[in-house]
Amino acid sequence: MSRRRRAEFDTKKKSTFALNITSMTDMFTILLVFLLQSYSTAEVQLTPESEIRLPTSASFTNPTMAIKLSLSGTALKMDETKIADIKNNTFLPKDLEDSDTNFIKPLFQELDKLAKASPEEKHIKEGRILLQADRELPYSTLRKVMYTASMAGFPQLKLVTLVGE
Amino acid sequence: MRRARKIKVDHNSEFELDLAPLLAVMVKLVPVLLISSAFVQMMVIETQLPQVVSQAIERQDQQPNPKTLSLEIDQKDGIHIVVTEKGKEKVETVPMKNGGFDFDTLHAKLVTVKKTHPEIFKIEISPSGSVPYKEIVRIMDEARQARDNSVKFPVFDTKQGKDVETNYMFPEIIFANTMEG
Repeated sequence: MSRRRRAEFDTKKKSTFALNITSMTDMFTILLVFLLQSYSTAEVQLTPESEIRLPTSASFTNPTMAIKLSLSGTALKMDETKIADIKNNTFLPKDLEDSDTNFIKPLFQELDKLAKASPEEKHIKEGRILLQADRELPYSTLRKVMYTASMAGFPQLKLVTLVGE
Repeated sequence: MRRARKIKVDHNSEFELDLAPLLAVMVKLVPVLLISSAFVQMMVIETQLPQVVSQAIERQDQQPNPKTLSLEIDQKDGIHIVVTEKGKEKVETVPMKNGGFDFDTLHAKLVTVKKTHPEIFKIEISPSGSVPYKEIVRIMDEARQARDNSVKFPVFDTKQGKDVETNYMFPEIIFANTMEG
């Protein structure tokens, strides 16, 4: 009984206390150093596609403003828009020109539309493309994208890679 | 005369540093840095070169019969290094090793080619359709720059009027068979 009364008395007592924030400041300092290390100064921020495993390269060139294409084992996308389907590492026959099997019709139409819509933009004028492609894809599939891009007036193809040896 | 009051300084006293403003700054900085951080570093393969090397490439283009270097990549035969000089082709082969490409031999042979022909900067690659993309990127890496930083190649700098050294080998890479049917 007496013990309970004493406890009640303690909680009712009005008091101020100083929070010890030294350890929290330590934690924030470490976090700040880590974030400063991974701070990116690149002109373009690239978001890796979940379906694509990029190849690694020793190149240390930052990406520049360009049209972003991504080529996975299932689809060819421009930004987030799907342009053509891929099955068994090849494009479907309906997306390819009958007389020229390297020509991807929907890709050409999209690139042509972009080139006509904003011809004054520097990256479109210079014909720059940033291609994120899955590392396991065969060259024959990539070649179709390169061929069509070149035909649409985009000859500067920049291959996106991960940093590593 | 009034005697000056003696100020007592206690050298053993402790005080607590007010860390609250520092913490407030950090709390604001952390979200800003979180937004602009790149946790996956992605780069691009392109030809961005020092001025001297760019000029050398231009000089190579201006020559009436430039020497050319090309790589024919096939998953069965390996890699053929073809140097064309005055219409004559000199072919060297890097055969497959343990079912994969022999990158070490390829790099060593490309260093030898560069030492013999320091004026060549352009390389044309023609992979066969079945070669995986990752192997092509690796071959580009082997051709772009010498692995050993002590290996240097002479480049004539027109501004300085003398030879300067670079470790770039074949930085301008062209997919030669893209437009073939």
